[in-house]
Formats: sequence, C-alpha cells, structure tokens
Amino acid sequence: MTPPKRNQTLEKPFRGLRVADMAWVGVGPTVSKYLADHGAEVIRVESSTYPEALRRVGPFVDDEPGIDRSGYYANFNSSKLGMSVNLKHPRGPELVKRLVAECDVVTESFTPGTLARFGLDYEQLRQVRPDLLMISMPLYGQTGPWASYMGYGHVLQAASGYNHLTGWPDGPPIGTGIAYTDFLVPHFAAVALIAALDYRRRTGKGQYLDFGQMEAAIHGLGTAILDWTANGHEQSRMGNRDPEAAPHGCYRCKDGKYVVIACFTEKDWERFKAALGRPEWCDLERMRRRWQRLNEQKEIDWHLSMYCAEMRSSTVFRVMQEFGVPCGIVRSPEALQNDPQMRHRKHYWMLKHPVMGDRTYDSPSFKLSKTPAELTKAAPLLGEDNEYVYRDLIGLSEEEFISLLADGAFE
Amino acid sequence: MNPEPPPVPLPHPNGPLAGYRVLDFADEKGQLCTRLLAELGADVIKVEPREGDPTRHNGPFFRGEAGPNTSLYWWAMNAGKRSVTCELRLEPGRELARKLAAQADVVVETFPPGRAAEMGLDYRTLSSLNPGVIVVSVTNFGQTGPYRNMLATDIVGSAMGGHMHLNGDPEHGPVRTTAPQAYAQVNAQAAVGATVALYARGVNGGIGQHVDVSMQEAMANAMDNAQQTWDIRQINISGPGIRRNVAGIQGPRYLYETADGWVTCLQIGGLQGLQANVAIDWLAEQGEAGDLDSPEWRTKLSALMPLEEGERTLVEETLARFCRSRKKEELVAEAQRRGFGWAPVFGPREIVESKQLGARDFWVWVRHEDLGESFLYPGPAFRFSETPAMHRGRAPHIGEHNAQVYGELLDLDAADLRRLKMRLVL
Repeated sequence: MTPPKRNQTLEKPFRGLRVADMAWVGVGPTVSKYLADHGAEVIRVESSTYPEALRRVGPFVDDEPGIDRSGYYANFNSSKLGMSVNLKHPRGPELVKRLVAECDVVTESFTPGTLARFGLDYEQLRQVRPDLLMISMPLYGQTGPWASYMGYGHVLQAASGYNHLTGWPDGPPIGTGIAYTDFLVPHFAAVALIAALDYRRRTGKGQYLDFGQMEAAIHGLGTAILDWTANGHEQSRMGNRDPEAAPHGCYRCKDGKYVVIACFTEKDWERFKAALGRPEWCDLERMRRRWQRLNEQKEIDWHLSMYCAEMRSSTVFRVMQEFGVPCGIVRSPEALQNDPQMRHRKHYWMLKHPVMGDRTYDSPSFKLSKTPAELTKAAPLLGEDNEYVYRDLIGLSEEEFISLLADGAFE
Repeated sequence: MNPEPPPVPLPHPNGPLAGYRVLDFADEKGQLCTRLLAELGADVIKVEPREGDPTRHNGPFFRGEAGPNTSLYWWAMNAGKRSVTCELRLEPGRELARKLAAQADVVVETFPPGRAAEMGLDYRTLSSLNPGVIVVSVTNFGQTGPYRNMLATDIVGSAMGGHMHLNGDPEHGPVRTTAPQAYAQVNAQAAVGATVALYARGVNGGIGQHVDVSMQEAMANAMDNAQQTWDIRQINISGPGIRRNVAGIQGPRYLYETADGWVTCLQIGGLQGLQANVAIDWLAEQGEAGDLDSPEWRTKLSALMPLEEGERTLVEETLARFCRSRKKEELVAEAQRRGFGWAPVFGPREIVESKQLGARDFWVWVRHEDLGESFLYPGPAFRFSETPAMHRGRAPHIGEHNAQVYGELLDLDAADLRRLKMRLVL
C-alpha cells in the first residue's frame, strides 16, 4: 500500500540525517519511527546479550517466541536498520562511538547514568560529533530523587494521574488497559527533537534534551492540574460521564457492541431528542437545560440503555449522526482494521518481514500533502545491517570485522 | 505600589522555534498543539470571533464563576499566545485573516472539512498568497473519506479510534479517561506533523504544504499492541480492569490498595519473574511472605512456571495483604531500591506535591495580574541544553493584542481598527 501521490516532488524531510537509536520499548522507538518514516536513516543499536524488551514480548508469529518474531516490537520499528553490539565487550563502546561520529542524532532511554558508565553520555559523544543532537527520555528525567526509578508505561500512567482519572467513581483507579503513557509522551518528545533539529538545520548547533516522560504526560491531563492549583478541587474518575455534558456515556447495543453519545450544547440536545423521536421523558421540565440534565444523568442513562439495547450499534451510529448528534461505536481492533474511514486513510500499512511475513503497521495520524510518510520496510532483524554499519559506516577492515565478530563484539 | 505587570505573552527569543509565526483557528483539537509551539518560541496568534472563542466557556472555571477570562480550560490551553479578534462570518474578516496568514509560517485550523475552502482560508487559497505556509487541518476523521463529515467529541474519538475498547472492565464495559485523551493525542500528534512540515520546508526551498490530521487515527495510534495482537493472534483485547493483558492473554493484577491509596506494579510486584527471590526475601524479612517462602514456590515463581488460577490468586493476595498496611510512596521507594519498577497512583494534588517534580523545578508561577493573583502551572514538557522551552504566561483576553498584531503585521492604525470595529469585523 502506498499513500496517494499528490505533488510528490519534494525531498523527504529527514533524508540525509542519520540516527543512532539506542532507546527501547515504546517511547524512544516511536520517536525515531517518525524520523525513519519521513526519510531519516535510523539505526537501532541493540544487543543479543540484553535484548530489547519488546522483542521478548508478544504477540509472536505462530505463538512461537523468538527474537525476530514479535509484532509488538515490529510496529514501532518500521523503516529502520538494525545493528547489534555488545557494550560489555572491551571494544563495544568504542564501536558505538565510531557510529555516533557518523550520526546526526542519538536517542536513548536508559536509566540515567547508564550510558555514562560506557563513556557514551552526551558530553563524551559530542567530542566525536560536535553538532550532535541527543535526547534522553527515561521515565522521570536525568535528575531528582526518582531519576533512577524503573518502570513501564503501565505504571507511569499511575504516577502521572491517568489511573486516578480512569475508572468508575465508586471503583478502583483502574487506569487505561494499556501502557498508556508510552503512546502519549513520544509525540511530545518528537516535537522537541524535531524543533531542535530545525534549530540545528538553521544554525549548525546540536544540543542535549533531558526529557522526562512524566513531565510530558502531565500535559495530557486537561484541566486537572489547574483545577487543583487554582480552585483546590481535585478532579477524579467519572466513568464515562463528563462534567460538562449530559447525556455523555457508553451504552451496550443489541449486537453486543457499545456506542458512545455526547451532547454538550443545547443544539446537540435538540437534535438528540429528534433522533430519539421525542419521547416524553426528553421534554420533562427538569431536562430542559444542560445544568439540569447534569443532575438527571442517571435517568438519562437508563433511558439510553433501554433504547440502545433494542438497536444495533450501526443503527444508533447512523441515526444519531444523521440527526447531527456526536456518536460513535467502540471499535475493536478487528473492527478498526475494517473501518471504512481507516481504510480510506490507509492508516495500516502491510509490510513484508523476512520472518514474520506480511504484518500490520501503524502510520502517522497526520498526512503531509507533499512529503508524506513512507514506511519503507518492515522492522529490522536483530543485527540485520551489521555489515553495512561496521564495514561501510564505521569503516572496519574485513579482517577486523571478522575478528570482532568471532570475538562476540556484535552480540 | 504594584510592580509593572509582565508582558503577555512573555517574549521567548531563545526557543528552538523562535522566529516562526503560527496562526491559531483551532478548537479543542488544536489549541494544545499551538501552545506547545509557543513554549518552543513560536509567536502564536489566536484568532477569535468578536464575542470570544467558544472554548472560553469550557469549564471548570476559576472559583466556579463562568466568564470570558475564568475558564481553566482556556488558561491551560492558550497560555503564551497573543489574541486578536476577527469575524470570520464576514468577508472583510476573512480577508483580514488571509492577510495574517500571508505572514504566517503555520496555520492550525479545526474547521469541519470543506468549511475553510468556503471561507477562502484553505491551503489552496492561502498557499497562493504565501507559498511557504503550512496549513495543519485537524479534524475528527480527516479531510476525506466516508466519515469526514461525522460529528465527534473526545469520547467519540476515543471510541472510534479503538482506544476505549482496551479500557474498562468486563463487568461495566469500556471506559473513557475523564481527562480527554482523544483531544490530548490529536494535539500532540498534530504538533509533530507541524514540526515535520516546518523541517521539510527548510530543506525544500521554503515550500509549505497541507497537513491533514485525524483524531480517529491519533487515537488508533494509542492502542499498544492490540492491533498486532489482532493481526497475529486474532484476539480482540478488551478492558482488563485491575489486571493486565499480555498480548491477548489475561495476566495478573497490577493494582494494589495501600494504607493511603494505591500502587501499580507488573508481574505481581516482582513476585513472579526472574527476580522473584528478591521479592520473596523482601516480604519474608517482614514476616509476610507466607507460603511463598518455600523452595517449591521460589522455583515456581522465578522460573515463571505457569500458575493455576488458585495459585495466582494466592500470590496476588500475599502481595495485597503486604501493601494494605503500608504507605504507597514508602512501598514504591523500597520496591525501586530492590530493583522493581513500581509506581504510586497519584491524583492532581499528589502530582503537584511530588518530590520528583519539585526537585526538577517543574512548576511555574504564572502571574494573572488581571486577577491580582499568581497560579501554579505545569512547566514545559521539554528541557533543552541550548534553546530552552518556556512557559510564557497567562492566556490572553479577547482581542488583547489587536492593536499590537494588526499594527505590526498589517500596518493598521487606531483609526483603521476603529473602522473595522464599527463594521463588526473586530
């Protein structure tokens, strides 16, 4: 699948930039995926002695675990090359340094201090590449009492407020079902990195970015922080309700699927009444204004539950939208693959991987009209491009390459 | 005597995007995007209708009192921008907006598809006046396609983007995060699109382009490995409540109650996994490891042998008992010391009081001289060694910068502005 070609005459934005991607799991690889899918040569720097966490987590093709079989890993690593190096080999750090000398950007997400132990922190790397742009993106940043704290997005969502704000009001703070911050903070990191790249393009100056995932995550909390600091009011989870809208909820339909309906304005409400065929309860005096309806949500939800239980989700969706009411169906992963809009947008790319075969990859939610993203290849095998990196980029001789290979430096 | 109030917004010539101008015609789907650009140094001009932007009516409000300058939503999303009024329902207003766009690097708009073209504010028209302009159009479903005209709010984006399917629990069904995430996601991703386009312009001789952003797709990008789990295993992941899904298989609990709230941890806090012995030792030191402090359990748990339902419950219950009598931050500190990646469940207050963010000087006092008070805001999400990001002060009042912006950019004087006002354009 390729995106529609419209005036596709311009250069890919990041063509000519080389990135050493030492980050792992969700956040870092998503950031460098943006660069790779828009033309940069991104090299994943990995090791078989300490494999990237997502290579060890499924889904695995045929349910057979294997270092080159994880769909989880694959999705975040389209369009990239793969090299492997053993940092614990006496010459490992030097090899990485020689790679960095040929790179414009380094991305990493190790616990603070880890790279310094190998002599690979920014201060040392800029010695070999003065205009280097480097971003570190661990959970909590480079400094502070939590700097060395470990974790994944599943728990960072707790520390940054998403558990507190997700769930039912009388139930536990369940949070989202996923490693949520892994899918929010990379976008912030990418904005920072690309802004710094643009500055570098104009001035020739590199720099270092100390990115703390939690600090970005907090910017996704809407008004919750200011409501506390300015009003002393602590927002909390409300199930599917909204402090500003009624009705606002999620309802089960006859076909077992769920629909969501939201009425923020009086206009929404009028249209909603029309869509329902103006049942009597809608015209009760206590349903007249939004602030009144906010007190009647229990009753509204009861009526809507009854209504939806009789209807197919697709019917509710169509009727509501025809009358001009914001409404949607909760799409399952399967349904999303077949969603006519997602298909029209060509969101999912099918890329052929030597081990995994044709697999589904996400693409950016933004389409650039003249320099669109292009997912050029499936995720790299571990160390797939060692020969290119070590021979062509770093310039090892045949002899050196073979002897280091035999000595386990590329493991 | 009152000190001179700080300028609104605070100047920021050292940001990485200083020198770029951004025109903001955005609603909830684009205001955070442009605010991020402002923190990076761009001059962001918010264009509002004469009566003020509709999002000024979004709650909550300062002290609960609705008014054009008391919406905390407005404060949060529009800090650091300049504001002009410009009546886009009238042709002279549209003409004025086109003149502003002729001097902008980026235009961010969230009009329903087709509306910008009707007003002559679409990419085609604007690029004919300014070939370098980048127009970022953020919509519910994108500019084209069968759903392009469908209506949506945050919850509709969360549902249609598949994200809600992954959240919730089997008993209640899907749940939305109360702080709107479809909006947060599409804003952050639109900002990526804007910066990629800016970079592309720089390497392509100053040619701008149209950036078409979909909220549905933005949410679909936040589905963890659910899409690949469907693709590879034909399993539809749904909300696991207090448990975790591992590529379609239901894993153990990750949420445990403490004496003062909740903590989260994977692999039953480390009791299951390669370091299980370390975790069992921790509980055993406190005399609370129970049956787990035995060679059989130690082997079973550290070798990651599959647990039967009852066995898993026993391990979870052991940890649950351990947590219930202790405080969350102490638990997390000790778990981290022993090598386990736990985190506490924090609400807004605890986030603001967090030692970590305090130690990093994250928070910023923002002066609202109009209210005679200062308020604590989250500082920028990014730290640069050379081109710092900066919080640029309070959000603007309606048309606060009319004279400044129209004077600077379009050379209009007081008499011109008066005339435009009388014609209901400003």
